[in-house]
Amino acid sequence: MNVGVAHSEVNPNTRVMNSRGMWLTYALGVGLLHIVLLSIPFCSVPVAWTLTNIIHNLGMYVFLHAVKGTPFETPDQGRARLLTHWEQLDYGVQFTSSRKFFTISPIILYFLASFYTKYDPTHFILNTASLLSVLIPKMPQLHGVRIFGINKY
Amino acid sequence: MANLNDSAVTNGTLHNPKTQQGKRQSTGCVKNGISKEAQQNRKAYAEDKPVFEPYQEAPLYVYVLTYMGYGIGILFGYLRDFMRNWGIEKCNAAVEREEQKDFVPLYQDFENFYKRNLYMRIRDSWSHTVCSAPEPYMNVMEKVTDDYNWTFRHTGKVIENIINMASYNYLGLAGKYDDSMVRVKDTLEKYGVGVASTRNEMGTLDIHKELEDLMAEFLNVEAVMSFGMGFATNAMNIPVFVGKGCLILSDEFNHTSVILGSRLSGAVIRPFKHNNAENLEKLLREAIIRGQPGTGRAWKKILIVVEGVYSMEGSIVNLAQIVALKKKYKAYLYIDEAHSIGCTGPTGRGVRELFGLDPEDIDVYMGTFTKSFSGSGGYIGGKKEIVDYLRMQSHSTTYATSMSPVVAAQLIRSLKITMGYEGNIGGMERIQQLKENIKYFRRRLKEMGFIIYGNDFSPVIPVLLYMPAKVSAFSRFLLKKKISVVVVGFPATSLPEGRARFSMSSAHTREMLDTVLEVVDELGDLLNVKYFPLKKSGRAILYNKEGFDNEASFEEMHSEPEA
Repeated sequence: MNVGVAHSEVNPNTRVMNSRGMWLTYALGVGLLHIVLLSIPFCSVPVAWTLTNIIHNLGMYVFLHAVKGTPFETPDQGRARLLTHWEQLDYGVQFTSSRKFFTISPIILYFLASFYTKYDPTHFILNTASLLSVLIPKMPQLHGVRIFGINKY
Repeated sequence: MANLNDSAVTNGTLHNPKTQQGKRQSTGCVKNGISKEAQQNRKAYAEDKPVFEPYQEAPLYVYVLTYMGYGIGILFGYLRDFMRNWGIEKCNAAVEREEQKDFVPLYQDFENFYKRNLYMRIRDSWSHTVCSAPEPYMNVMEKVTDDYNWTFRHTGKVIENIINMASYNYLGLAGKYDDSMVRVKDTLEKYGVGVASTRNEMGTLDIHKELEDLMAEFLNVEAVMSFGMGFATNAMNIPVFVGKGCLILSDEFNHTSVILGSRLSGAVIRPFKHNNAENLEKLLREAIIRGQPGTGRAWKKILIVVEGVYSMEGSIVNLAQIVALKKKYKAYLYIDEAHSIGCTGPTGRGVRELFGLDPEDIDVYMGTFTKSFSGSGGYIGGKKEIVDYLRMQSHSTTYATSMSPVVAAQLIRSLKITMGYEGNIGGMERIQQLKENIKYFRRRLKEMGFIIYGNDFSPVIPVLLYMPAKVSAFSRFLLKKKISVVVVGFPATSLPEGRARFSMSSAHTREMLDTVLEVVDELGDLLNVKYFPLKKSGRAILYNKEGFDNEASFEEMHSEPEA
């Protein structure tokens, strides 16, 4: 149960997103979510795409930008306790491959959702608001910044 | 790339102890690491040279399924946390008292998430109570759980005659009392169990000096100092060698004790990729060119820290390349031989002997007595000036009690057996038997299709299982079949690389290994962990030279065409 016995990584959260196959698993997970929503009889295709986008962005917001710290004790005496998972990624270095991938993927999903909802105004507003909720915290300028004290402690 | 001294060999024969008078005997060696005498025997060494190959990687779907498994586990973890908070499910975890809800919390609740939601489900795979010596067959107390692994209780029964693939009993020297342990018992009566004093006060006894002289002779170095605790040997002594203004280049898979010692030193630490000499050379060159961060001044010291055998990977350090880089860039080399001393190399003197290098090529020899020598504690060896400096400056000599004399006596016994003292050939027999067991076991596992990490000379054999559910299933099934094995998972390893580690011992017999292999073969099919199954060969495979003389084996070969 000691962290890093085999790999000497103080905080495994820094490298989890770089593991082999992680991006593929993420893409497959989003695809699976979309297929499940498409299978619901009462949902039309535009509703399924909007729900996919919103649920995906909600999950991304929770797991990458709301949850702070690590789910296991680390030997660095709680240095990462006030950092979100996104801020722990790649030791805080910006513009790494993982950060680029996870920044672009909600944008691609947003494009697909906009296309398949035929740019309906209601869907557009919902999708855009959802996209901004996960894009703004990813900005390099907002690393460690807590606007209005949101999620500060 | 630096020019490698692949042809370097050194005198591996045992030195006459009478000529050891506090100075290393170097008549057979020359400064550049090439021994004239041993050059004639180069071929014999070349045949046993370790080969470094990249590991097999599992297919991509294995990684995807592993991540999905963790993802599902995390979602269910959140669900159960929700149910516990709302009282739907009974909460066995520690909680803050209601009267203290306005106080600052005593611990971070989220930091316990993994333990109470994921590790708890499989934690019966660890922490068994061993109630015998860690011999090839050992006994374990049976434990059961009534509340899904939150608590356990012992039933009073004992599971007996478990094949022990879990202990680091490489040379088989940990066992029940026998005649060779008479001296250990006498030492207990003469010295007692301990001194309760530090080395710098009254804690240095003549038995410690005897042990250190014997170890210096074994390692072929000028001096050795022993410590009572193996982990502390790294943690308390690396800060003595390097400090502020120094640089430590540490292999990324180094042990936690090395990492702790490096952090305590205050030196700058830069990890290099595991066993990657190119990456190390790049870091060395950059460090020398750029100097210290900020000021650009030259580093006071540059220390390369590697391990002989990595306990989680089973890999062996490519020491020839490391030594070449050390000489080229004038760095220091600190090698941790905790797992490799006693069981690698032709006579068990570690990876330096395995690569045929000069004893002076390594600046600091560190090792533990807890593995091959079946004791406790550790040692640091090297030049006399280094060890004398250590005697005055080491944190352990000032604050820690010295090694128990009973342990020292056991270590002297183990060393004499390993060194072949007084005509005892048991040591060489054990080392050869261990090599045979390692080769046999590794080869059979590879032929079955398992992914094996590590070097073919390494007594640690990790079998990659990847998925956490398979890690626990592997352990439970084997224990049911009376085989014990250590399994490791995240966060000790990387997220997808759960594994089981088989530790070889020279005391394992061929029948024991065949029993284990048979069960592992069955389990591999059951759990689908044979990621690269080989096509079955129609011919009978001979595993040793005696097979040609074996009538049954010949009969089996002869009857093949009829089938």
